[in-house]
Amino acid sequence: MSPLHVVLVGYGPVGARFVEEILPGVRTGAVALTVLAGEDVEAYNRVLVAEYAVGNTELDAMFVGDRETAEEAGARVLLGVDVTAVDRAARTVALSTGETLAYDRLVLATGARANVPTLDGIERHRRDLASLEKYGAQLVARDDDLPAGITALRDLADAERVLEAVRARRRIIVLGAGVLGLELALAAAHAGAQVCVVHHGPHPMPRNLDRGGGHVLRSALRRTGIQVIAHSRAEAVAFRTGEDGERRFDMLVTADGKQIRGDLLVLSCGVSPRTELAVLAGLRTASGVVVHPSLASWTDPAIFAIGDCAQVVERTEELARQRTLPGAPSGLIAPGWRQAAWLAGSFLDEAVERPTSATPPVEREPLVMLKAEHIDVVAVGDLGGDPFDDDALHPRRRVSQWADPEHLRYVKMVTEDGVLTGFASVGMPRTAAELTLLFERGGELPADRSILLRFDGPDYDPAADADAFAPATTVCWCNAVTVGRIEESAACGNTTVECVGRDTRAGTGCGGCRGRIAEVLARVGDPDGEPTLTV
Amino acid sequence: MTRSADTHCPYCALQCAMTLTPTGAPAGRPDATTDAAAAPVTVAGRDFPTNRGGLCKKGWTSAELLTAPSRLGAPLVRGADGALHETSWDEALDLVATSLRGIRSAHGADAVGVFGGGGLTNEKAYLLGKFARLALGTSRIDYNGRYCMSSAAAAGNRAFGVDRGLPFPLEDLDGAETVLLLGTNVAETMPPFIGHLAGAQAAGGLVVVDPRRTATARLTDDGRGLHVQPVPGTDLPLLLGLIHIVIAERLVDLDYIGSRTVGFDRVRRSVAAWWPERVQSVTGVAALTLKRLARRLASGANTYILTGRGVEQHVDGTDTATAAINLALLLGLPGRAGSGYGTLTGQGNGQGGREHGQKCDQLPGYRKIVDPEARAHVARVWGVSPDVIPGPGVPAVELLKLLGAPGGVRALMVHGSNLVVSSPNVLDVRAGLERLDLLVVCDFFLSETAALADVVLPITQWAEEEGTMTSLEGRVIRRRRALTPPDGVRDELWILHELAERLGSTAAFDTDPEAVFEELRLASEGGIADYSGIDYAMLDRGDAAYWPFPRGGESTPRLFVDRFAHADGLARLVPVAVRESARPVATGDEITLITGRLLEHYQSGAQTRRVPELLAARPELIASLHPATGLRLGIEDDDRVEVSNVRGIVHCRARLTPDIRPDAVFLPFHYGDEQTANLLTSDEVDPISAMPEFKTNVVGIRRLASVPAMPVAESGVPA
Repeated sequence: MSPLHVVLVGYGPVGARFVEEILPGVRTGAVALTVLAGEDVEAYNRVLVAEYAVGNTELDAMFVGDRETAEEAGARVLLGVDVTAVDRAARTVALSTGETLAYDRLVLATGARANVPTLDGIERHRRDLASLEKYGAQLVARDDDLPAGITALRDLADAERVLEAVRARRRIIVLGAGVLGLELALAAAHAGAQVCVVHHGPHPMPRNLDRGGGHVLRSALRRTGIQVIAHSRAEAVAFRTGEDGERRFDMLVTADGKQIRGDLLVLSCGVSPRTELAVLAGLRTASGVVVHPSLASWTDPAIFAIGDCAQVVERTEELARQRTLPGAPSGLIAPGWRQAAWLAGSFLDEAVERPTSATPPVEREPLVMLKAEHIDVVAVGDLGGDPFDDDALHPRRRVSQWADPEHLRYVKMVTEDGVLTGFASVGMPRTAAELTLLFERGGELPADRSILLRFDGPDYDPAADADAFAPATTVCWCNAVTVGRIEESAACGNTTVECVGRDTRAGTGCGGCRGRIAEVLARVGDPDGEPTLTV
Repeated sequence: MTRSADTHCPYCALQCAMTLTPTGAPAGRPDATTDAAAAPVTVAGRDFPTNRGGLCKKGWTSAELLTAPSRLGAPLVRGADGALHETSWDEALDLVATSLRGIRSAHGADAVGVFGGGGLTNEKAYLLGKFARLALGTSRIDYNGRYCMSSAAAAGNRAFGVDRGLPFPLEDLDGAETVLLLGTNVAETMPPFIGHLAGAQAAGGLVVVDPRRTATARLTDDGRGLHVQPVPGTDLPLLLGLIHIVIAERLVDLDYIGSRTVGFDRVRRSVAAWWPERVQSVTGVAALTLKRLARRLASGANTYILTGRGVEQHVDGTDTATAAINLALLLGLPGRAGSGYGTLTGQGNGQGGREHGQKCDQLPGYRKIVDPEARAHVARVWGVSPDVIPGPGVPAVELLKLLGAPGGVRALMVHGSNLVVSSPNVLDVRAGLERLDLLVVCDFFLSETAALADVVLPITQWAEEEGTMTSLEGRVIRRRRALTPPDGVRDELWILHELAERLGSTAAFDTDPEAVFEELRLASEGGIADYSGIDYAMLDRGDAAYWPFPRGGESTPRLFVDRFAHADGLARLVPVAVRESARPVATGDEITLITGRLLEHYQSGAQTRRVPELLAARPELIASLHPATGLRLGIEDDDRVEVSNVRGIVHCRARLTPDIRPDAVFLPFHYGDEQTANLLTSDEVDPISAMPEFKTNVVGIRRLASVPAMPVAESGVPA
């Protein structure tokens, strides 16, 4: 049996996971795998790019793919090689090296690129079919060059630019207040840079947070020294020419005329799937490469897409006729990994002609967590409604809320029949961690929702629920002797630690409780007074 | 006999030193008309580096078992009426030998299985392995340490090339400023141990990772440390997350990694995907807590990382223990003065018991049974041709699945183990035992397993025998006789000797413990666990003998000072990954079952449930639930509940406590019959260590209509 020829385009964290999962088939020869990695670098964990950009981690610690193992197993991994075209009829791909490769299964894991907003002063390229056909060589697998002093934050080169500014403690303007922009802003501020966040919504993370959560987050950001400029639509950038003769970014100009000066402008305005190969190949695309839940293209059953470039839509006749389609790639890593693992598994089954039983992963709504040292934000789901709603459209929806803006704490929990369907948590890490688990597992919330809040209460000290001198409190762990038992012993005339030990065995194990026994005895002698130590 | 004997406690691996002084009260079973005889010995704690004279409640009351009313005083054989009847030793042994011969000739030597225990002395464990291989000629021997130390052992062997629970004396912990306890509740399982944590507590550096707020977790209160309370079954992601932080924040000891380890690059890659916030979303432990913990561990203070069954008794237990070792190696802890990694061995001789041939793939001295050189060496000591020694057998859970199966095991000999309480998926084990042609159990009492046997052989207790044990430190210590055993009971060495003779074996099966130890020395010589330099005289002088202790060489209190045990002297950093399909996850109304231990009981409770004071303190199975879970399920404190899943049903009382996570329920596994927590546990095993999953089984819980309180006798001592 000849092997199943699989060609993977893209070697980011999702591509690397796909490789890892399909390796068993490569080892046995059932699968012949070729990986085309656009960047000339090992697969790295893009989630950590902001950390890298402020010097919190090193490149070595970001690599996720184990290329050596993959190559030992027989996979061919080509770093720095792009696919320039797909010939679907011939089932081949053309490479930037001039080589042509045949495939049985083509997997697109090309990811996404940072959006460059429409700003006077920055040139953007369209990537529609006409432009791609005309300028394919410049546009496929390439990002637009940005002027000096302006960068996105997507890949390592971007991160290097940011790192230079952070190290020099420059003033950094972050355009956009989504989760990625804020992570960078917080990390850069923490690393000593001056940071200003400019965004056009009323509060940060508008896609993820409700008004209450957003306002508490804004206060928290300001408390860290970050300048937050809301309600501001960026319109243009202006440049200055430095002493070295280079033209660099100078200021961001907003629609209402604000001029915000800085040394580096970081564009954090979302991402768009890299679909140009698919567009050129005539595959159905919308915001991403449109695939069935099985991850196969709507247009070509031999082509698949996973991760940030994939838009999973269940195909119906009605949808097939529409120009726009619902949904979009989540932009989060976990769904991409699940897709990679599932697709690799289904290829393995196919390669050995084993019926596949598993059903494709069904994605829950993705949960968003802000990665930052001092601010904790977790949010997921629809946060509509308020506690006093009487909404006929949502008869079973209930909302509980806790807001303490002064102390930067906020929690909103939305449930249907007691099961969490959405929540936002700001400044309450333990609560957020528990809510995350409850959401992922579909568990019912405790009827007393405040239990969840208490984890983060300043008084949360599980030790405090026990009176150190309550009769049932254990004093000697080795022998399970309680305060009550020691008091009883004392009442029988055992008034020293030694005597109590002989009578009850308290203190005859590790001996660590002998001081405590003395305290109990002292209280027996003088119930109202301060304990005095007499051994 | 009125001389007192310096010996060690019969229970856990801490092996607290004690002195037994005969009281002159008659030994043996009390008169049937009295409830209990006076204990024939008094127990006193003895100064020793591990327990410093202290004992826990179990140790103090241990002598009560010597004269417990239910102690067996004569061999029992199942009669035609289906009941067990007392008989003579000759009759019982003849019956066993005849049956074994018949089964062997009809079904082959592998139709006889042997199941050992981690409580047996080194001499018994060694002789049992020899008995299986030579007298029975079977490959099918394994032991209950499979449920206990196998994951840590596999991880230790893989990383260090050797498996000694603590590669340093316990006293070294006294100087620690940070101690990370992963999944171990020492305050209940080996209480005198906690005296060695005082230094870390004083430095505010005791860190306990446990989904329950155990007695051990409480030792971190009042600024003495930190309790981290992850979701059950997320130990591995938690550790990968800590490694991720240690690497990302450049807290690793690069010199150490470069000079003493191999494999850093792949481990680094394997954790890149476990950034703190992702770990938070899986474990429920806040990212900030993880970062603080990682920084504390790397703070340069004397740091120890210790694992217990909580992180090891998983279907990915070997990988979890490996992650803990990786963390320790990256911080440069193992082999460095004042720091280290270790695993806390549980059973009394859980260390020695895993070194001398009770394991299915092993020969004495921690040798591999497949290694031709090892076979040749042991064959020489045994005076046989290497071809006579069978090949590797199968690990415990697989062995139990073979009971009564076609081509499987028709007869089973059980030593020092109460299978139908301590094994996973107990209903299947019970069914397997019932399918056997012959079940022989050696025990002091009619344990739940003995009650199912065809022949029960009553044996000596610790105070009545000589031998050696190897403590959790890898220190070989002496067990000494204070009392003459009662008339009707025999030592297992004698039993093996008698059976071997009846089976026509020409190999030597000495009945004198010292002679057996002398043979063990030869057999272990040159092996990983080399005892050849140790003898009884030395131990009787009080010398501290830590293995390896080669003939003419020295004790090794601290391993890894200069090199690890792999041929190149380097430790292996082994990348491990979370297998998402490894275990079912509780969803919706389901709850995760954690099994574990109580202070008052030891292992299957076969002994401690027969000590009135211990039974009175913990008479029956109780399920611990969070009050929020109780509220949701309509369960109140003290309600009777049913805990169930596809494998079984357990009925017990509920206790509501905030000391457990709301998504978990805790059941101690010490009880028999319908209170056996292991009715609910899965017999899926770790692919490397064959450890079953005891800590993350999915169950449902419901309140039972109110019924009268269960009489104590039903849960306690069988008649």
